This record gives sequence, structure tokens and C-alpha cells, in this order.
Amino acid sequence: MARAIPMERGLPRLTTRPRIGSIAKHVVLIVVAGIVAYPFYFMVTSSFKDTLEAIRTPPTIFPNELHPENYTDAWNRAPWGRYFINTIFVSVSVTILELITACLAAYAFARMKFRGKGILFTIFLATLMIPSEATLIPRYVLMSPSRVACAGLPCLGWFDTYQVQIVPFIASAFSIFLLRQFFLSIPSELSDAARIDGAGHLRFLWSIVLPLSIPALITAGLITFLGSWNAFQWPLIVTSKPDFRVVQVGLSAFRQEAGSSYHLLMAASTFVVAPIVLLFLVAQRYLVQGIARTGIRG
Amino acid sequence: MRMKAAILAAVMLVAAACSGAPPAAQQSTEADITLSGPVSVTLWHALSGPQQVALDAMVKKFNDTNGKGITVTALNQGNYTQLYQKTLGAIQAGALPELAHAYESFVADYMKADVVVDLGAYKDSPTNGLTKASQDDIYKGYYDTNTFPQYGNRLLSWPFTKSLAVMYVNNDILKEIGKPIPKTWDEFEATSLAATKKDASGKVTRMGFAFNTDASYFNAQVYARGGSLMAADNKTVAWNGKEGLAVLQMYDRMNKNGSGYSPKSFDYQNDLATGKLAFFFSSTSTVPFMKQLADTAPFNWSIANLPQAATDPAKAKTVQFGANVAIFKSTPEKQLASWLFIKWMSDTDQSAQFASTSYYMPVRATAANSQTLKDYWAKVPQGKQGFDLIQYSSPEPNIRGQQDIRDVILNMITEVLTGKSTPDAAIATATTKSNQIIKDAQ
Amino acid sequence: MAAEVIPSSVRASPHRRLPIEAIQAWLFLVPAVVILGVFQIFPAIAAFYMSLFKWDVVQGAFRGLGNYTDWLYDNSIRSPDFWRALSTTFSYVIFTVPLEIALSLVLAYLLFQKMRGRGIYRTVYYLPYVTSFVAAAAVFFWVFHPQYGLVNDVIGIFGIGPQRWLDEPNGIFDLAASGFGITLPEWLAGPSLALVVLSLVTIWHYLGYQIVIFLAGLSNISPEYYEAARLDGASERQIFAKITLPLLSPTTFFVFTVASIGVLRSFDSVYVLTNGGPLDTTRTVTLLVFKTAFQQAQFGLGAALAFILTLVILLFTLVQFRVLGRRVNYG
Repeated sequence: MARAIPMERGLPRLTTRPRIGSIAKHVVLIVVAGIVAYPFYFMVTSSFKDTLEAIRTPPTIFPNELHPENYTDAWNRAPWGRYFINTIFVSVSVTILELITACLAAYAFARMKFRGKGILFTIFLATLMIPSEATLIPRYVLMSPSRVACAGLPCLGWFDTYQVQIVPFIASAFSIFLLRQFFLSIPSELSDAARIDGAGHLRFLWSIVLPLSIPALITAGLITFLGSWNAFQWPLIVTSKPDFRVVQVGLSAFRQEAGSSYHLLMAASTFVVAPIVLLFLVAQRYLVQGIARTGIRG
Repeated sequence: MRMKAAILAAVMLVAAACSGAPPAAQQSTEADITLSGPVSVTLWHALSGPQQVALDAMVKKFNDTNGKGITVTALNQGNYTQLYQKTLGAIQAGALPELAHAYESFVADYMKADVVVDLGAYKDSPTNGLTKASQDDIYKGYYDTNTFPQYGNRLLSWPFTKSLAVMYVNNDILKEIGKPIPKTWDEFEATSLAATKKDASGKVTRMGFAFNTDASYFNAQVYARGGSLMAADNKTVAWNGKEGLAVLQMYDRMNKNGSGYSPKSFDYQNDLATGKLAFFFSSTSTVPFMKQLADTAPFNWSIANLPQAATDPAKAKTVQFGANVAIFKSTPEKQLASWLFIKWMSDTDQSAQFASTSYYMPVRATAANSQTLKDYWAKVPQGKQGFDLIQYSSPEPNIRGQQDIRDVILNMITEVLTGKSTPDAAIATATTKSNQIIKDAQ
Repeated sequence: MAAEVIPSSVRASPHRRLPIEAIQAWLFLVPAVVILGVFQIFPAIAAFYMSLFKWDVVQGAFRGLGNYTDWLYDNSIRSPDFWRALSTTFSYVIFTVPLEIALSLVLAYLLFQKMRGRGIYRTVYYLPYVTSFVAAAAVFFWVFHPQYGLVNDVIGIFGIGPQRWLDEPNGIFDLAASGFGITLPEWLAGPSLALVVLSLVTIWHYLGYQIVIFLAGLSNISPEYYEAARLDGASERQIFAKITLPLLSPTTFFVFTVASIGVLRSFDSVYVLTNGGPLDTTRTVTLLVFKTAFQQAQFGLGAALAFILTLVILLFTLVQFRVLGRRVNYG
């Protein structure tokens, strides 16, 4: 059985990875990193400035004095605690459930034979191509408490709930597509061997395919989680009560009324982004976990 | 229920006839009923921050004191665009709230689905309406904007969060250059130029005026120059006359000589506060933001009417801003409960109270007598300066298609400011497009 | 062994042979089919229904394909609007996707090396993707500020005058040419500077996201290939070209497809940064859909336009699958 080993330890460097000149590499990476990180840097430093310094033109590179109270000020202006709890609950639920459905579906597309596979996959992909503005009104109506608007049937009546923010996102053609590409590249020798051993599809999926696809799973999971964390338009229109609202909706409202209180807007933006950044810091080392291919020969 | 209402109306009629007071409605309508039990209504709005807090306080007070068992729930739906989106969706789903905050153009669209209640009957209702004195106390402009010629001149919404376009002035700069607040457009241009400072390399370090590309300010300037916005039959635009052209030409000149600039988002507020800008036009709702900036780093500022073409101050004109509230058709009880709330909001005490906490304008003149407002004005004199100008504020057109016309005007101004078009060419294209839009939208 | 797997009941009746695998496959697919069916496909069908009517706030007369022809050629305001929006959208894709992919591929390759600070680099590159567009927009307004922006200061060093960036409606070729005193005809002016800035911001935003996907793809390449190639004496460049790129092709293909669809469909970035301006030079088709449906309340026309866009995306993707799909190496 193959196990995932982090590439950092185990395998000798020389024969397993491509190499590039060290200094040139670092220069390029640092310059790009600087450009890429500048807006974030700007956001965080502005969040510690006072009212006037934050709007100064040209902006100062580093705050003259640090004002961490901007964070408590911004926090107290809205029920952020509640928003965070809602967001975490919704995002975690969506991610877990979506990964499950995506694995099953991607596996079916990648490694099973059945009639209509091509057409079904195209239909799934098509859902990625329809802009959400077109289906916004029908989806809104679907969630409404209306008795007859849904093709003559009663609608779901899910306004101001958690399920309205979770259930529609339990399946995503994007994750299915992503995982399908990965599952396709699992060598057929592995599946042949499994069949010879008498393992069914489910067992093969669970014991072999999934462990080999951890980078893909984590990638899909991260992207799904982030998509859910940053969701704005949908939660805005299907929830009105603060009890069910999420952080992006809160941030948007904040942007409107903070107006020229730049320092507070930046503080709020920072603490909305921070959890994701931390999550990524932790998750990214598993993203390039290698796989012990020796499992094939053994 | 109907019987009771009919009897009540009959009694009122007789009583009115006997007392000599002018009779109001001739027949009883659903506007004249009384409530029989507790009623809950929901208000969708687009207020956030301190305005939302102010509204919530008023709602709570109403719920606690109305004595008729009415409970209002006010829910924020995002900004105005999002509120509009949601309301349209609600129309499709058949799931509208009882009341919603709305701009005039929104109401015009909602009426296409015929879901909006005619408030005329409620306003004039002998049981539940306003007395004539009270009706007259509300600024005429606020009735005009909520009256829709397209829909038979019916009163389809009620003033709620009103403001107006005014000129903000940095008095420190004016004092330095030794000029008074300009009263005419020529003075304005000259003063803006005098306020402009450039450094050795020719880069502008202090500006006179911040351009607005928003259509409302264009409209305000057309009014202030003595022009009108729509033809009398509402079928074509009228802002393309010499007044509109004069606005564009002034922009062009000021852009080229550096006395005007195009700010990004809220720059103009910060620039005025830090002494980099002499004038900008904005809504009276910007007062709290300027006050906040002044509290952090004091500077002298005030509000004045836009420069005017008319020499007679009584003929001064500017544009009215802000949204209103519309009631959607539901049951007579809910409609009445909704009406009673918005009527209460517009009564003198509440109007003054709301104005002093939300920085919106009161909807009636006698609000000036309230102590609450007087105290607020003592702290924020610019509030009073704005209030004194309400009588000069006129509504913008409220026909369908007006939202698109606003985009056309915005593009017209941008073309002039970025040098893509001359004022004449820009205004000509914009006029053709706008008239076509009006045609298509009917 | 096949005999053990297929139940005797099925073997016994050749005419009614339902492959077990097919049934199992459909079972695996049930959750996805149900959810996508109810929450994506059914609303899409409803939207299509709406697109067949004049739907001006409320349902009006049946128009068949009338809304569609209005956009394509029939209407004097809507048709030019559509074609201009389509052209803008394609410019947006052309300026964003290839550059985005090349950059993220190179960076992912560099980051794949074992080196110090790798984790930090990766996190830094991922920051734009997690930074909310609302906050990012505020920062970019500053960076590209017409008066006080950092970028204007930087190009000033090279002697180029300050630009309006996100507020500049003039085409980039036109701007460049007028720097040399040449005036170009209107149709050669090129996409507006605002659109190019929009592309840059989009690339910035998605860089980390794509690097992450490429990293996962790179880690999928069996190290034996490198082992073997190095034993054969291949140079780094040869390894990259002959081994890495081909074996990475499923991932590259995926990224290319998804990135293109993403940009064609994108709305938030444009809405927040320019809202279609200046002078409609960044008005993509999605923005036009939004304006039609949610400013003019013309739902029929809005839905029709959205489906036209869907068709465009579908055709574009099919072409991609055809042209590029052949070159994908599943290893």
C-alpha cells in the first residue's frame, strides 16, 4: 500500500528533482514576491495607522505610530464574532461535503465505463460556463417561500438558514474536473493489480487512489474552502438577518459605511483575510507531498 | 370589517360637515380602516453604519409607543443596487416585504409589476392621513419627486432619507486668497483658479474644484444655471440646452488650466480636509464624514448653495437627493400598519429626531422648531446650513430609463474630461442616446 | 475472476445485460447529479425559459428567439453593445490568460526545488488570492492613482508622464503612438489602458492559485523520469522541455481551460475595479448582463445574453479541447 511521504525528508535530492542555478532563482522569486505582496503589505500597514496618516498622499511606508486599537474599533462596529462562526461553519461543511461528492463523481468519470459518460461530463462542464448572473433570479426564487413559483411546485423556503448557503455548493463541476484529471493519470497497472486482488471500485478509490491524490485533494479543498469563505453575492441575497450572515457581507457593509475611515477598513479586511492565510501556511507543505512510487514495483 | 369602515366613514363625513372642516375622502377606502389586532411588517432598506443605528432607534421607539400593536422589523439588504436586485427577485418569487426603501427609478420599475400602493388615499384619509396643515408643512419638492407622471401622477412613495446637493467650501483657503464664497458661476471659476497652486515643476499641489462625473451633480448644475432637465411632455431631455453645454465647457476649461481634477472615490473629502482642495459638490449626507475629519485635525469648512445663475435668491435651485419608501400591496391591515409607520417617521418630532442622528434632512419645515434639531445644529452648524437650502432643492426625473440616462451623462462628462470629445459633440451624442432610451423604456 | 464479479442472473440473460460497473458509476454520480441538477441545471432551464419572453420586471409576450437576435444583429442599441462587450471580453482573456499561465508555471517550477524559505514564498504568492477583492481594489486604486500612485512615480523615473490607469479610456496602442507623435485610427487604438490594468490585477490575483495547482501537478510526476534522464546526461533545459512540460500537460491543460472560462465569466474583479468604465471600455459581457437584468430590469434580455455568453464559452472550450487536448500526455 502506498503511503504519502513529504518530499522534504525521504528522497535524495540529486536524482529526484530538477535543479536550477540558486542565486538567479532567488532573485526572481524575491522580486516577484515583493510585487505580489505589496498590496497586502499596504493593507496591513494602513491598518495600524491613525485616521489621517491612513489617507495621506503619498502614503507613508511604515506607520509613524502603531495603533492596534484600530482592530478592536473595527471589530466592535459589527457582529464579527457571529459572522466568523457562521462563515467557518458554512465553509467547513461545504468543503467536506463537496470533496466527498467530487471524489465519487471524478472517480466514476476517470476510471469507470458507462454509457453517456461523455455527455454527462459535458453537461457538468456546461454548468461552469453559465454565468451566475443568469441563474441568480431563478435560484433566488427556488429558495423563496413561494408556494407555486418553482414550475408550479412549492419552492424551498430556505431564506435565512445555513442550508441555503451550503447545499447548493455540495457539488461543483470544477472540483470534479480537477480530480478527474488527477485520477486519470493514476497508472492502469495499479487498477489492474487491484482488480486481480479482487478489490472493488470503492476499495480501490479509498485505499489507493485517494492517498495518491492528496495534493489534488488538498488543492481542491483549499480552493473550495476559499470560494466559500469569500462568497458574497449569494449569501447577501439569501440572508437578511445578521444571525446567518457571513464575513464578506459584513466587510462589504463595512466598506460602505467606513467610507473614508481607511484605517478601520484595512483592519477589518486584514482580520477577514488572516484565518485563510494561516490555514494556507499550514496546508501548503502537504501540497507537494510526494508519493512513494516504489509501491508499484513491490 | 368593511361594514365597520363604511359606518365610520359615514360618521366622519357627517361630523366633518357639521364641524365645518373641509371633508376629505368622499368614499371609504382601505386607507380608512382601523387595525383590529397586532400586525407585523418588514422594511427592507439600504442603510448601514450610523444611519442604520439611527433608523433602528426610531423603529424601536415606534414599536414601543405606537399603541396599535404594530411591530416593524427593519432589515438591511446591502447597498441600493443590491436592495434593488433583491426586490426584483422578490417580485418574481411573489415574496415581497411590506415596505422597501427605494429610489424613484426603482419605484417606476416596481410599478411595471403593479405591486406598489398608491399613497394618495392614505395621505388624504380622514382617519389615518395628514391634516392639510401637516401636508403643506412637508416640502413640495418631496411630493413632486414621489409623484409619477408616467403612472397617472399618483403618489407612489413617501420621502424617507432625503438630502440635497450642496457646495462644500474650505474657508481657510478662501481666507488665504482673500475671496468670498462665490455666488455666480463666473466667480466660482475665477476663485477656483485663484486657489490653484502649482509647484516649480508645474505639478498641481492645490486644486480649486473636484469634478463630479455623477449625473446628479450635472443635473444640479443645470438647475443652478437656470435650465431644466426634461421637456414638459417627459418625452425628451432638456439638459442639452445652453445650460448643460455651459457645464461641460466650464469643466473643459478648468480641466485644461489645472484648477479642476478628477478625484478617485473619497479623495475629495480628504483633500478638502487637508487643505489641498477649495471646493467640491456633494450631498448633505457627507457632513458627518467631514465632521469626523475636522474632529481629528481641525479646519474651517462650511456649506453653501451651488453658485447660481439667478440673481434673485428665491429662485436658487439645486437637486434633491436621497431615497424614499414605498409600500407594497398586501393586506389592508399590513398596508395601513406600514403607512402609519412612515407617517410617524415624517411627523415633526420624529423627522427632527431622525435628522439629528442620521444626518438626513427633515422632511418638513416645522422640524426646525424642535429642540433636538437645534441642539444638533449648535454642534454641527453645517447641518443648519444644509437645512436652509432644502426649499431650493428640486427632484430629478423619475421616469423609467432614467438609470440608463445617468450612465449616458456620466460617459458624456468622462469624454470631455479625458479629451475624447468636445463639449458640443459629447452633448449631442448623449442627447440622441438618451432620447432613444426614453422611447424604448415606455 | 470476471465470472466471480458478474452475478449469474446477469450472465444468464444476455439480452438484459446491465454492466455492474455502469450501475456503480451512476451510484457514485448520484449526489453530484442531484445537487447540480437542482441547483444549477434547473435554474438554468428556468433562465432559458425567461430568455424566450419579453420580461420587463414581469413576464410579457413570448418572443421566441427575439431577445437573442436583438443582441446579435437586430437592435440598434443592443447589438453594438453586445459586439463591443464581446470584443472587450476577448481582449481581457488574451491579455490575461497566456501571461498568467506562463508566469505561474515558471514560478511553480522554481518553487518546486528544495530550497530555504519555500513555504514562505508559496504563502506570499498565495496572498493575493485570499485577499478580498474589496480590500485589494482599495489598494490598487492607490497604487494606480492618477495623482499620487506608486506606478506613476516609477514610470516617471523612465521619463514617462503620469497616466490615468484605471480611468484611461484611450487605447494602449494609441497612447504609445501618440508618445511618438503619431495618431492611430480608431480601430487600431487597441484595448484601453484601464483594461490592461484590469488584466494585471487579475493576473496578480490568480497567480498563487495557479501556482498551487501547478505544484500539485509537478509533484505528480514520478521522480524516476528525472532519475533516468539525469543518468542519460540530459541538461536542465532538456529535462524541462522534454520531461516536465509534457508530463505536466494534463495540469496545464486543466489550468488553461479553467483560467479561460474564469476570465470569460469574471464579474467581481471588473465590477469592483472599474464597473465597466471608463467609457464602457472594460464592459465585459457579464457586466452587460448585470446591467440589463439588474439596472434595466430586463430579465428576458439579460438571460438571453447570458446564454449567448455560455455558448461562446462552450465553443471556445470545445475548440480548446480539440486543439490542445490532443497534445495532452496522460503518462
